[in-house]
Amino acid sequence: MNRGRELLVGLVIIISALTAVVGTLWLKGTNFGRPQTEVDVLLRGVGQLNRGNAVKYLGVGIGRVENITVDGVAVRVSLLLDQDMVLPPDPAVVLGPESLFGDWQAEIVSRIEFPRFPFYEVPPGEGPNVLGGYALPELSRLSASADLISENLADLTDRLGLAFNDSTATALASAIANLDTISLEIRALVAQQSAVAVSVTASADTALAEIEQASVVARRTFERIETILTDAQIDTIVANVRVASTGIQEIVTSLAESTGGIAATIKRADSTFARLDRISARIESGEGAIGRLLVDSTLAIRAEDVLAQIDKLLQDLRENPRKYVRLSIF
Amino acid sequence: MPYMVDATRAIGRTTLRTVAAVGRFGYLAVDAGRALRKGSLWAPHLVGQMAKIGVASVPIALFVALFTGVVLALQAAYTFTGAVPQYFVGTLVGKTMLLELGPVLTGLALSGRVGAAIAAEIGAMRVTEQIDALETLAYDPVAYLVVPRVIAGATMFPVVVILADALGISAGLGTAVLRLDMSAFEFLKGLRLFFESWDVWFSLIKSASFGLTVTSVGCFFGFHASGGAEGVGRATTRAVVVSTMIILALDAFWAATLLK
Amino acid sequence: MSIELFDVEKAFGKTQVLNRLTLTIHEGQTVSIIGGSGSGKSTALKHMVGLLRPDDGEVYVDEQNVSRLDQESLYQLRRNVGYVFQFAALFDSMTIAENVGMGLKRMPDMSGDAIDQRVSECLQMVDLEGTAEKLPSELSGGQRKRAGFARAIATRPKYMLYDEPTTGLDPVTTAVIDELIVRMSDELGVTGVVITHDMKSAFRISDRIAMLYHGGIRFEGTPDELRMCEDPVVKGFIEGRPKLMRLAP
Repeated sequence: MNRGRELLVGLVIIISALTAVVGTLWLKGTNFGRPQTEVDVLLRGVGQLNRGNAVKYLGVGIGRVENITVDGVAVRVSLLLDQDMVLPPDPAVVLGPESLFGDWQAEIVSRIEFPRFPFYEVPPGEGPNVLGGYALPELSRLSASADLISENLADLTDRLGLAFNDSTATALASAIANLDTISLEIRALVAQQSAVAVSVTASADTALAEIEQASVVARRTFERIETILTDAQIDTIVANVRVASTGIQEIVTSLAESTGGIAATIKRADSTFARLDRISARIESGEGAIGRLLVDSTLAIRAEDVLAQIDKLLQDLRENPRKYVRLSIF
Repeated sequence: MPYMVDATRAIGRTTLRTVAAVGRFGYLAVDAGRALRKGSLWAPHLVGQMAKIGVASVPIALFVALFTGVVLALQAAYTFTGAVPQYFVGTLVGKTMLLELGPVLTGLALSGRVGAAIAAEIGAMRVTEQIDALETLAYDPVAYLVVPRVIAGATMFPVVVILADALGISAGLGTAVLRLDMSAFEFLKGLRLFFESWDVWFSLIKSASFGLTVTSVGCFFGFHASGGAEGVGRATTRAVVVSTMIILALDAFWAATLLK
Repeated sequence: MSIELFDVEKAFGKTQVLNRLTLTIHEGQTVSIIGGSGSGKSTALKHMVGLLRPDDGEVYVDEQNVSRLDQESLYQLRRNVGYVFQFAALFDSMTIAENVGMGLKRMPDMSGDAIDQRVSECLQMVDLEGTAEKLPSELSGGQRKRAGFARAIATRPKYMLYDEPTTGLDPVTTAVIDELIVRMSDELGVTGVVITHDMKSAFRISDRIAMLYHGGIRFEGTPDELRMCEDPVVKGFIEGRPKLMRLAP
């Protein structure tokens, strides 16, 4: 009787103690007996990262943050990984929010994936398991960045407006023989851009960098356009054409609308800028009519031919206007 | 005017009685502290009391915890509908169970079960002169009766509460999965999100203090019972009422001092 | 080797129970204390083992001041005192044998076998051989009282205090108990204090008889002296004539 009771009391105490210990360790996310790798990360700041936060690789939880200490001017974050894992080539660590409500996480990435992130440069004295890291800006810093973006966007929109004002567009349009085709293509390009409405996902910093790059490219493009447009010969042609064509006015209007569309699209999303970047690249590589015009000198020459023809055409038009009545249709 | 005087006297009398009771309780506590040295008197009864106070209380504690866990999960889900993500159900069930309802509800349930039983048992021994008999046989009744019960209470309450905590949280998990269309993973994510091992310690400290309270208050009222069966009944009721009040006050005290 | 009470005063709330009580019980004597209900008999008895402490006055047992003893010395003293409670006060959760052996377990030089032997001896003395493994609740009132008696004598104390040992017992059992009390005194030289209402057994067992009245001694003397006493209070009490008592000053 008494021994049975002792056994029962002991059993209940043991079960309870085991529940407490195992439960606590389990909820804390401790592993039992599995191999573990320790990786240190050096960075300039850790944002909202805390001890015990998740470590992820390719989106999969593979460990947790063991410790965070200040190490000179940098912060040293120790990560405890669950397994003997093979780090990606040229590894680095990005700290950022895990979700809107939750904690932060540390994600192991390859530097190549995020070329624009200013990862901490690990001093050469450190071992192979010490990685450079970068903490994404916090929400407050993001909104500050957003301000900056909108300023840049406004600037860029102004420049676009400048580039596509009435006279230059008219000049550009008149400089090209196949006006129908070119206007359609430009419209298609614009429509393509307008259709792309990607939500803001990537970091503000990346967006900024891309904007800057985009504006540089854009500026360069427009400069080149301007050099073509400032050609005196074209000016005279343009003067002639403006008088002649009412249809061209329509295209100009539609172009102006499209420009407004571009501005609106750009305001919405930074990814659109990546897009713009790519379009600029495409133009530079000679794709599309404008591109070809800009890149291929023979095309430019041919355009001059076309202009000469137009000149002739206009002469003819002046002489025999009735012959060209249907021209107003386009 | 005489009513005023009577009322004032009643207040004075109650205060004096309370102070006197606290004083007597202090004496009992000092005696119990001194009686700790007499291990030969209380040690042989410790296991028996642990079985009686702890092991036998496991079913009622688990019963309470089971329903508490279920209700917590359902109410959390009801409250969180919309703005707050569902996995916070896990957070709420875990935190509430460990920090508050596990220890407090178990403490209250056991103040009825354990405290009343102790007060009745010792009270009956007092009115039938069994405690005097112990004295005449050179047994220190405090060492013989009070110490093993109080030690058993202080050690076994945490043991019972841990089991209650575990079952309560499991019941919450079960409810979340079966009734709330949550995945176990989601619930555990919420549970782990703000989990600290300190929460478990807090639960243990709280329940140990409740165990100490329930058993010592039961012993106190039993020890000072007088007036036959009616006196024993009175002692039992008072033990339950007073230990319930002390548990709730202690609950607030721990929350104010330990949760910072 | 005696029990002495000097000017003992004790009040419970506003009720003065003992009122300058002075009484000496000499070694080897058996003294009966008689008196009406509420005259303070049980209270006086409890003072003799330190279950109660006097508000004023002193109690000496074995030349030790009981009211001034620390806990350890008091327990030491109590090992020499056996106390038979009015309603036996057996421990409900233990068997009769365990009850009787309780006091023996506190004696350092008693082995388990010696305890068992002493327990069965004591049970035999009170005619309870067959009840060793029974619980108190399974016994009749008289049997319980005898078991309480056995528990008190088990440690072979020098002093025995009996709180109404024969109240409620049938005449035969009463005679058995009375005989036991006499044997304790005659054979073992035990000093005894007996509280009783039963005048017949008081005369049978006592060397001296004291009567308590309103918390003080109204009479103290040998049984023969008691019979001769003309005090209406004493006379009224022993003859069971309340009217006579009411005449007293």
